[in-house]
This record gives sequence, structure tokens and C-alpha cells, in this order.
Amino acid sequence: MKKKLLIGGAIILVAVAYLLYLSFGSSVSYYVTVSEFFDRGDELLDTSVRVAGIVADTSIEWNAEDLELTFTITEGGKNMPVVYNGAKPAGFKAGATILAEGKYGYDGIFNAVQLILKCPSKYESIDIE
Amino acid sequence: MTETGHFALIITLPVAVFSIVTSIIGARLVSKRLAAAARYGILIIFGLYTLALAVILYAFLTHDYSLTIVAEHASNDLPSVYTLSALYADKAGSIFFWGWLISLFSVILVCQTRKNHRPAMSYTIAILAAIEAFYISLVTFSVNVFAEHPSPPADGFGMNPLLQNFGMLIHPPLLYIGFAGFAVIFAMVVAALITRSPGVVWDNLVRRWTVFAWFMLGIGNIVGMWWSYNELGWGGYWAWDPVENAGLMPWLLGTAFLHSMAALAPRNYLNTWSYCLITFTFVFVLMSPFITHGGIESPLHGFYLSPFPPYILAAMIVVIIGSMVLLCFRRRELKIEKKPASLLSRENAILLTNVILVVLVAVIFIGTALPGVVEALGGERIALDRGFFDRTCGPIMLALVFLMGVCPLFGWGKSLWKSAGRNITFFFLALVIISVAILVSGIGNWYIAVVVFCGLPLFIVFRELFRGTVARRRSTGRNCVRAFFSILNSNRARYGGFLVHIGIVLITLGIIASSFYGVEKTATLDIGESVRAGKYTLSYNELMFKQDNVKISAVAGVQASLNGKSVGTMRPSYAYWLSHDDFFAEVAVRTTAAEDLFVSLVWTDFSPEDKTATFRVLVNPLIVWIWAGGAFFLIGGVMAMTWEEKRSSVVKG
Repeated sequence: MKKKLLIGGAIILVAVAYLLYLSFGSSVSYYVTVSEFFDRGDELLDTSVRVAGIVADTSIEWNAEDLELTFTITEGGKNMPVVYNGAKPAGFKAGATILAEGKYGYDGIFNAVQLILKCPSKYESIDIE
Repeated sequence: MTETGHFALIITLPVAVFSIVTSIIGARLVSKRLAAAARYGILIIFGLYTLALAVILYAFLTHDYSLTIVAEHASNDLPSVYTLSALYADKAGSIFFWGWLISLFSVILVCQTRKNHRPAMSYTIAILAAIEAFYISLVTFSVNVFAEHPSPPADGFGMNPLLQNFGMLIHPPLLYIGFAGFAVIFAMVVAALITRSPGVVWDNLVRRWTVFAWFMLGIGNIVGMWWSYNELGWGGYWAWDPVENAGLMPWLLGTAFLHSMAALAPRNYLNTWSYCLITFTFVFVLMSPFITHGGIESPLHGFYLSPFPPYILAAMIVVIIGSMVLLCFRRRELKIEKKPASLLSRENAILLTNVILVVLVAVIFIGTALPGVVEALGGERIALDRGFFDRTCGPIMLALVFLMGVCPLFGWGKSLWKSAGRNITFFFLALVIISVAILVSGIGNWYIAVVVFCGLPLFIVFRELFRGTVARRRSTGRNCVRAFFSILNSNRARYGGFLVHIGIVLITLGIIASSFYGVEKTATLDIGESVRAGKYTLSYNELMFKQDNVKISAVAGVQASLNGKSVGTMRPSYAYWLSHDDFFAEVAVRTTAAEDLFVSLVWTDFSPEDKTATFRVLVNPLIVWIWAGGAFFLIGGVMAMTWEEKRSSVVKG
């Protein structure tokens, strides 16, 4: 009886381990700041990464017609031009801390597929749980 | 005034120590007098704590900005309901409120057990007093909730507009009620084990508290989803954010405990397992503020860090080590386990459900904690996207839905073949054939086949209800409706559970449909232009500006038509909040049983000349099924909670 239960448990464990193994590969991305990204040279070129930085003051261009948001994120004295296609996310403005998810292309522009905003001040109180 | 509150809060600490000491000595000496003294201690703590709470709430209501907590979260223009909820918008304030709930629940427990002088009750009180003391210390010594503002402002900072709605008013308290309830259950179970009376644990009191805490936590999570969907404007209800997971994980473990406690423990099966479940449920309850206060970085939520995480981590370690040591010393008392006769018995079916729930929590925990752990160990900083959770948790949840359906087929102690008859083979064969037929015929793709495979067994629940109704009608001669309700009433725990299961299946269907069959469209339109999204056409007709002393809003009038027929005008808005110097969108949603049309205005220039605006349009199938599932959960949960009264009246009668 106990043996049978243990065998059943082992099967479940193996199945879940396999599920985890399958999911990890496609879900993990490096998470770096702008300066860390450039410190690593070409290593992260054209790979999926999350880059954290601050939206630079004078760089924001919003083309509503084509839904294209162009801006520069800056951190540690380094700048990275970013292009994002889609709606301007809520709370997007100069000085906001942002996580850009996407790939840095050979053309020297970061193509973001998702933008996640962090509010640097006390607006954070969204997470009141 | 504030000094009074602060002083009252500090005085609770020696009282808590008094309660802990007297109840432990009282239990050792079997002294009724000492045990009673400890109980009075609990009442005094509650009185003082309530005084402190009243002082803080009074400060909020009178906009007393000399208190930092009030200055940071309230403002003159904030409606008074939200002025009160501003208390738990603050990190320390939320811990303060949570601690008060534990103190309230301790008093309720003390009242419920007036005549119970067993040592187990004394230890319960000692453990609860210790938990209270921990939370009170956090909000007095680590961060002082009564801290005075160095230079009181004329107006407070105010509350994030996204929090100013009904959902956020009740979502946090519901979660805290659930969390505090699990603290009470944990204390009762540990105390029963200390006094070598594990059998005591499974009495009605623990059962009732478990259903209550689990129900509140569940409803709290559903309200959180509803809020996220209707207020955050991104069109989703669950982002697998660490903060959301923090509320989900204890609920899933609590679900496992609920089942093992209600079904396995009375049969003396797997006591050790149930004990470990409640321990870890409580550990995850403790961990929840560890995550939300910055112990694990959350990509969606802010950078806010409070000084609590190290203390919470220490408390978690103490609870885990303490419980496991106790378990080692008491393993013999827990060992009297009756083994079920057959492998395919209901006991083992429920055990399997339990194991899968635990695995689900483990997977969510890995996804939540892994990035932080890898970095803490000096590795690369990595991020996991939500796809990880969708791909791993999706199949596990479907397995759970399948088990929920087939569980009633199993008999207690008997094998499946004996209890459900040989026909059961044909039932499973039919399931496989239908699923394969869906795949082959091209009616649906593989996940529809999987969903059908997992969902169909749930008809067994309906079959049970139907059979019961027919039998009741025959035996009592009542009509169908009355017979149906009298069946539901006859065993509220069982049928309440069925309703909850139906609710979970509805929620699952809603989640699957909306994740795989949604349509999303973003477009910038000028007045008179329109955009198509699925079967809908949306024409942008007008843009009006409104201003009050809080915000400047742009309200769009968008005419929605379905297959060419107008279905009404939707009015999403986009507002600039003066006090926050930021923009917030208010979405417009049109709900039908089949799908939601979700329109949000995400950008406009606020210019009377150029009314160009960007809209995000989503067609989300079956969303309302999620909320309907929530309603089933609510009704079933309430039914299960009222079960005890029914039974005792039967005994008396």
C-alpha cells in the first residue's frame, strides 16, 4: 500500500519536474540595468532581456497615429534608445522607472514588446495587500 | 490623543506576556484559575488594541495630519469611506489592522470556549497571544504607526485613484480576515498536538474556523481579480505578480487542509499530513506581507520597502522549526492511522487532490521566489514571464478540475470498482472517445479536448443532486423544487462543497476561454472614425471634458455595434488627477453571458481642437463566468459555514 502510494508520488514529481523543465526555457530572461547591459558588451545583443532604467527627460516621442512610442532610458550614465509599438502605458512619463522587455537589435535600438512601469514615489500603494 | 493610542498599544505587550505565561503554567498545573486569568489577558489586549485602532481611525476621520500615516494616505478631498480604508493602504497600518483582527478572533474563540478548560485551549491562547505580540511589536518598535509627522502638511498626500473603489475597500480586509482565521486554526492544531490530543483537533470548532478562514480568503482573492479587471485597465484579472501569488498560495494550501481535515482526519488517516498542511498554510500567511513589503521584488508593484521582511522571515523560520520539532516529539500520537482498504478509495483520491494542490503551490512558489533566490545566491539576475505560470499551473489546475469531478465516484475505504460498479470503465472510455472525437473532427483544438475531458466528470455532481432530489420527492411527496432545496439543506457541508466545485469549474472555463480566445485591438481614432475588434465595430463619436477640484477628465462616447446592430454607447474616460500629477483611465465594460467588450481610453491630448484619442479594445470571452463562479463560491461557502447549527439542532431535537 505504502509502496504504491510512493510510486504514485514519484510519478507526479517526475511529471511536474518535466513540466517545469519545459516551461523554464521559454520563460527565463536576463534582468539587467542599462549600464549592466552595456558593460557586458555584445553578449546580450538580440536576446530577450528585461532592462531597467529611468525614462530620460527630453526623449519622449509619441506617435499616436502609428502607435509608436520612442524614448530613451538611462541608468548609470548610459543611455538606451527604445522603440515600443502599442498604447502608451498608464503612468508613462519622464522620470518614471521602467522595465523594458524585448531585444536590443544590431541597429542600436531596443525593440520593446512590453513596458512595465514602476512608480518611484509613494504612488506604489497600489499593492496594499 | 495619539499618545493615548500609542500607550495603549504598548501596554498590550506586557499583557500578552502575562497571558502566555499564565496559560502555559495554568495548562501544566491544570489550574482553572490561571487559565481564566490568561483569558482575561486576551480580553484586555483586545480592549487596549481597539482603543488604539479607534484613536488612529479618529485621526483619519478628522484629517489629523500630525500623524505621518494620515498625512501620507489621506487628503481633504478623499471621501470618508476611503479615509478609513487609507489605514490599510499603509504598510504598517495593514499589519496593525491585521494584528487587531487576530486579537478580535482570539476574543471570539475565548467566548466560544468559555466552558472548555482543557489544557489544549490554554496552549491555543498562549500561541495566539504570542502571534499578537509579534505583530504589535512590528508596529510599535520596528515602525511606529503613531509616528508624528516632522512638519504636518495642510493637506495630506491622498490615496491612489486606483484604490478609490468598492473592490479595494473590501479586498484587503477579506484577505486579512482569512489570514487571521488561519492563525487561530494553526494555534488550535499546535496546541492539540502539544497536549497529545490530536483527536481534539478535528472537532467542530476547528472545522468551522477553517471553512470560515478559507472562505474569506477565497472571496478576497476573487474580489481582487474583479478589481484588477475593472479598475487597472489592462484587461486582465490575474498577472501572476508576486503580490497576487502571496494571497493565492495560502488559500490553495488552506484548500488542501480543508479537505484533509474534513475528510481524512475524522477517519484517522494522514494526521501528520494534515498537521504539516496547516503549519505551512500559516507559514505562507506569514510570508504574504514578507512578499508585499519588498522581501521579493515585484515587477508590477512599486519599490516600497518596509523594515519588516527580516523579522517576518525570522518568524517563519521559528514557526517551521518549532512545528517540525514538535512533530518529531509527537510522532507517536499522530501515528495511529487507519489505512484505507483500497488504493483507489476516496481517501486516496482526496490525498491525490491534496498532493496536487501542494505541488501547485510549490510551482507558484518556485516561480515567485526563484529570481530572488538565484540573485541572493550570487547568480545572474533573471526574470520569469507570466508564460511560465500559465504553462505550468494550467495543466495542474485542469488535473484538479478532473479530480473534483470524479471524486464522488470513489467510496470510503472501498475500491473504485466496487463503489461505482464496473460501468465506470465505460464512463472513462466514453470521456476519452469524446475528447479524441473533438480533436479528430476538427470541432476544437487539443485544449478544448482536454477541457472537455476534465470538465465532463463534473456532471457526476449534478447526477448526485438529481438522484437525491428524486429520492427525496418520492419519500416526502414534495414537489421537485422543494425536494431540491430540502436535499441541499439536509447536508449543507456536502452540497455547499458541490456548489463551490461548480463555481471553480465555471471560473476555470472563464479563465481558459478568456486566455485563449480573446481579441485585442489598439487604435488611434479621430472623431467619426471607427475600429473593428472581432464581431464588434466601435465608432468614436464625441469627446467631452469635465473638471472638478480633483481631476480633469476626458470622457469619450463610443458607439458599439455587434454585427452591424448598435448595442449602445460606451463611455471610457481618461483623467488627469491634480493631486497626483498623473493620468488614470476608467474603463467601460459591456458584459454579456458570452463575452465582455472592454474599452479603455489610453491617451488623448486634452485639446478641444484635436480630439484624437487612442483606444484599447478587448473582446474577452466568458469573463462573466468567472464572476458567476465567484457567486457559486459565495453561496456554497455560506452554506458550508452554517452547517454546524443545523447538526446541533438535530442532535438536540
